[in-house]
Amino acid sequence: MRVVVRILSCLLGLALAVAGGLAVLEIAWAWARPGDPALLIDWPRWRDELGSLPWNSTAMRVTAGVLAGVGLLLLLMAATARRKEVRLNDPAEGVSVTTSPRSLARIVGFQVRSADNVRAASVTASARKIRVRATTRLETEAQLQPRLMELVQETVDALPLVRRPKISVVVDSPRDRR
Amino acid sequence: MTRSDDESRSASALARSYRGERVLTSVIGLVALLVGVAALVVGAGWLGTYRAARPVLDPMAVDWLVRQALTARIAAILLGLAMLVLGLMWFFRSLRPEARPDLALDSTIGKGLTVTAGAISAAIAADAEQVDGVSRARVRAVGDREHPALRLSLWLRDGSDVKTIWREIDSTVLRRARESLGVEHLPTAVRLELGAAERQRVR
Repeated sequence: MRVVVRILSCLLGLALAVAGGLAVLEIAWAWARPGDPALLIDWPRWRDELGSLPWNSTAMRVTAGVLAGVGLLLLLMAATARRKEVRLNDPAEGVSVTTSPRSLARIVGFQVRSADNVRAASVTASARKIRVRATTRLETEAQLQPRLMELVQETVDALPLVRRPKISVVVDSPRDRR
Repeated sequence: MTRSDDESRSASALARSYRGERVLTSVIGLVALLVGVAALVVGAGWLGTYRAARPVLDPMAVDWLVRQALTARIAAILLGLAMLVLGLMWFFRSLRPEARPDLALDSTIGKGLTVTAGAISAAIAADAEQVDGVSRARVRAVGDREHPALRLSLWLRDGSDVKTIWREIDSTVLRRARESLGVEHLPTAVRLELGAAERQRVR
């Protein structure tokens, strides 16, 4: 989302500049040569159309709704363009360390996959939460889940994370279905 | 240079700031939302059923504008110019790549000493790659000339001990960098990436 917001902001700036430039040109042109046709955009036609379009017409309502929707979308995009890195403690004065959520997931995934009886595992991580889904064929969920929970907790505790993420471990085992 | 100054500089060196871009997008989004909602409110007749049936570009408003044509024109041209200038500033600000400042180690006249951003990057990256568990390192100078900082991106091998590397970076690589540059403080942001550099193919 960060890249999208950067490109969007670039385009919005350009749109603002173009709109301002066109307005200045048209107003100056109409001021200097009254009676002449408009320079670049046919604004007298827009003026006439808007002059006969009431506020409660469908066209106006749809336009207003779309505008409000686009505004809401822009706000949401700007709000979600946060940094998602995971902060580690500073090892020394003036040194800041982060790692990516993906790396945190890899560290945990590496440990979980090397645990006994784990057939496959998927891990998603953020600074706040780590979710582990593991599959096994040899143990039930009740047997494996506490062990994995402890393992993940140990792995996370060994990292110098600023914020302890919550951990959730789900085990999927065919033995539970019998 | 105070401690908190160093820390905030190293923290802000972690990644390029998108604050300006996010603020602009939010402001434009907010304006669009408010204008859209206001138009819907007027259209729904909440400000009077008579108002809802009036044209969008009300002849009364146009008449009023025509009566103060000079003021309206000057105001509109000034607004347009402001939009043009601000828009172009935003546009070029967003397009501009992140700065790579050179380190001015000694600015005394007659014996000035500057290390270029490229030279620092290559030297420290080569040193960082010697650390056990680091497969690739990329270093760049960030910030501005008055407040330079380093950004170190380290790619670690799968299964390497993050905590040891985390502890070693400052005591080895960064200490050597500070010593060779002859500075006491060098705000640094370190980004650790794990196991992304080399992929093993299935054989």
